Amino acid sequence: MAFLEVTDLVKDFGGVVANNRVSFQINEGEIIGLIGPNGAGKTTLFNCIVGFHKPDSGKVIFKGKEITGFKPFMTNREGIGRTFQLTKVTTGMTVLENVMVGAFCRTDDRHLAKIEAAAILGFMGLDSVKTYHLNELPIAAQKKIGLARAIATQPELLMLDEVASGLNPKETEEMVDLLKKIRKEKEITLFLIEHVMEVVMPISQRVIVLDGGVKIAEGLPKDIVKSERVIKAYLGEKYAKGL
Amino acid sequence: MEKIRDAFDFRDFSKPEKVGFAIFTLLLLLFPWLGAGSFVKAVAIQFLLFSLFGMGWNTIGGYGGQVELGKAQYVGIGAYTVALTMVWWKIPFWASMPLGILVAIGYSFMIGYPLFRLKGHYFAIATICTSLVLQDIFINLKLVGAAKGIELPIHEHPDFLYMQFKSDTYYFYFIMALFYTAIFYMNWFRKSKLGYQLRMIKEDEEAAESLGIDARWCKIKAYSIASAFVAVGGGFMAVYNLYVDPYSVMDLDLSIKIALMAMLGGAGSMWGPIIGSGFLVPLDRFLGSWLGAQKGLIGVDFMIYAALIMVVSAYQPRGIWGIIEEFRKRES
Amino acid sequence: MIFLDALLQGILMGLLFALVALGLTIIFGMMDIVNFAHGEFLMIGMYTTYWTSLLLHIDPLITLPASAIVGMLLGLASYYFLVKHLLRGPIIAQLFGTFGLMLFLRYLAQFLFGIDYRIIQRGLLVGKTLTLGPFIFDWTKLSAAILSLIAFLFVYTLLHRTKLGKALRATALNKEAANYMGIKTDRMNALAWVIGGGTVGIAGGLIVNFWYVYPTVGILFVMIAFASVAMGGFGSIKGAFFAGILIGMIEMLFPMLGQAVGSDFLGPHFKFTVVYFAYFVIVVLRPQGLFGWKK
Repeated sequence: MAFLEVTDLVKDFGGVVANNRVSFQINEGEIIGLIGPNGAGKTTLFNCIVGFHKPDSGKVIFKGKEITGFKPFMTNREGIGRTFQLTKVTTGMTVLENVMVGAFCRTDDRHLAKIEAAAILGFMGLDSVKTYHLNELPIAAQKKIGLARAIATQPELLMLDEVASGLNPKETEEMVDLLKKIRKEKEITLFLIEHVMEVVMPISQRVIVLDGGVKIAEGLPKDIVKSERVIKAYLGEKYAKGL
Repeated sequence: MEKIRDAFDFRDFSKPEKVGFAIFTLLLLLFPWLGAGSFVKAVAIQFLLFSLFGMGWNTIGGYGGQVELGKAQYVGIGAYTVALTMVWWKIPFWASMPLGILVAIGYSFMIGYPLFRLKGHYFAIATICTSLVLQDIFINLKLVGAAKGIELPIHEHPDFLYMQFKSDTYYFYFIMALFYTAIFYMNWFRKSKLGYQLRMIKEDEEAAESLGIDARWCKIKAYSIASAFVAVGGGFMAVYNLYVDPYSVMDLDLSIKIALMAMLGGAGSMWGPIIGSGFLVPLDRFLGSWLGAQKGLIGVDFMIYAALIMVVSAYQPRGIWGIIEEFRKRES
Repeated sequence: MIFLDALLQGILMGLLFALVALGLTIIFGMMDIVNFAHGEFLMIGMYTTYWTSLLLHIDPLITLPASAIVGMLLGLASYYFLVKHLLRGPIIAQLFGTFGLMLFLRYLAQFLFGIDYRIIQRGLLVGKTLTLGPFIFDWTKLSAAILSLIAFLFVYTLLHRTKLGKALRATALNKEAANYMGIKTDRMNALAWVIGGGTVGIAGGLIVNFWYVYPTVGILFVMIAFASVAMGGFGSIKGAFFAGILIGMIEMLFPMLGQAVGSDFLGPHFKFTVVYFAYFVIVVLRPQGLFGWKK
């Protein structure tokens, strides 16, 4: 039984079919990448899985349970965590408090939540900024905090929306190591939308490619980069033929 | 047990805050013996009452970030429950007040459920609507005294069963007790799971949802808590004034004042509503009595608040407490 | 027959409600800000026509432009001195900002004019009626309704057939895109407030011919306007038009419902309460109103 199973997902925004019968499976413990040119429907797909949008048709099955159309807080409680491309910069809560909110998902006890949050921040190397506010920190830290928050909800599947965008090369490297560490030590399955190939290709077991709302390819990273269809989607026909 | 410890734990406040609060408490305890006139005593009671209202509003409006302008309907529910049960069935305050709280909570869940489908401006207007509708119903319902309202029968003083006293001093300590109960409750609330979740909802509702928070349900819970607070204040008003009518306890102006106190003082902070109340209530009373004495100046006091509201909204929406916090940040 | 009469009267009033709602929906459509002071703008429009016609001994219909001008200036001033700054802040600030304006104007009026109820007593059309078959119409109401219709058509033409109007609508749809095309958001915002203030000023000038003006008259009308805008769809002009008329009809027909049901309680004193209730129900059940909204 697949960990996450998406079957024939369709999402139509009144004329623009953002997701057109997309199907794929993710197995437990994998790291799967989702790539595709801008406007391919990647974020929409994410949103349909976690529940920000209700799919027009199709199914989403997680750990054998159908979660199609579940609201975001419900999918989270089922075990799917999610980060956002742009973490809204908040000024009212400290970093620790932010992560505590995530921890509160699994406990009612403030002290436990605090301990759990502190532990996660330690794990991510963010100990030193516990008492800061998000608006006082650089983007790389903000992204990590978004990640920490989601991890605090103890997800089994973590969906990351462009977690590497806005990072410089060194930060990107750190992020890749961090993702590997998360998968290994926290035993969380990762599903990433990415544009930054330096992140997706080295760590993904498989890569799914969307273009114009349709899945156009799926396979090992090394095969995807050679796929004519994928290259055409990104660079246009000229370059595809050229190879 | 945890909860009680949390309520009394003020350790995470800064030193000046703790000291300030301690001095404040001391002053309040001694206040009736300081020889103030009856007018000043009445103002002090109003101050504590509105602080109570403001703290209630703050739960959903400040921490929760959902600006609602219909609190007065719950003041009315509290006040009328106490008044009516006393007039009809001679039920003492200590039984009717809890009943009032239950009615307020019940009603708040009932309208909260549809209400919280809305957000922002639509939500605010809808809260005004529900309050106006309730008020209109009460104005026209003979059963509850319609526009004339209800007068409470006078008992022999002092009466601790029905909370009727001749001297304002008793009322002062009474409202003070309610005030401190509210403070301890708020102190617990802001550290509770709901408190954290609410704050997250205010900061970024989408993110909150992605962290397993059922935003709508949390808001409804906070709204109910706010309603309960405010209903207690209403109950107090009933036994203090010995009179309730739809205009004094359910009016839109009251709703606005309540929200305003919290906002001016600093919505979303513990001390905000108290500061706001401390500023506006004396201003209201003294200005009102001074200006009201001059016949040609009716309405000028309101014009001054209104101007104040506009200035604060435009330049420092985080209120007085916001200004204080900015100061502190610059210092450090 | 009584039913038909109530219906027609309702449509007349409805046209005026629609005009009141027009300004509100334009401002909201432009910048997602709810002008709580809208009712007070109306009140000032009413007082303007009242005082100018009384003091200058001119017919109130002729002093209408004065109300329009005062309304436009009020809108402009409100935008530049207050609303512009509010836009930078959180929603609570925006709400309270226009709320403060509302209170300020209301009590300013109370201070200047006292709490007495006033109404136009003298004018060409005051007290005269038109009889069409079995129906009798007050000329004041009828002319107000007609003028309101004209005003509506004027604004509609302005918005849909002129370059300026198109620029306004472009900004309402997508600020950034319009900006890139050289349409300055700030100017468009101000324009929205000018039109909003002007139309409601005119509405006030018309209404005072048959409705008493007093400092707190605004609250009633602003709630009616909110209900109209909600019903018609926030930001939709067509919506404001039809919803306004619908509400006018509800106003007039509701007391009959009470009679028909035989209930003393459901009387004419609730005819406005029904409107508040209607707002609540509509906004919860069909937030986009009848004609969709500008999100």
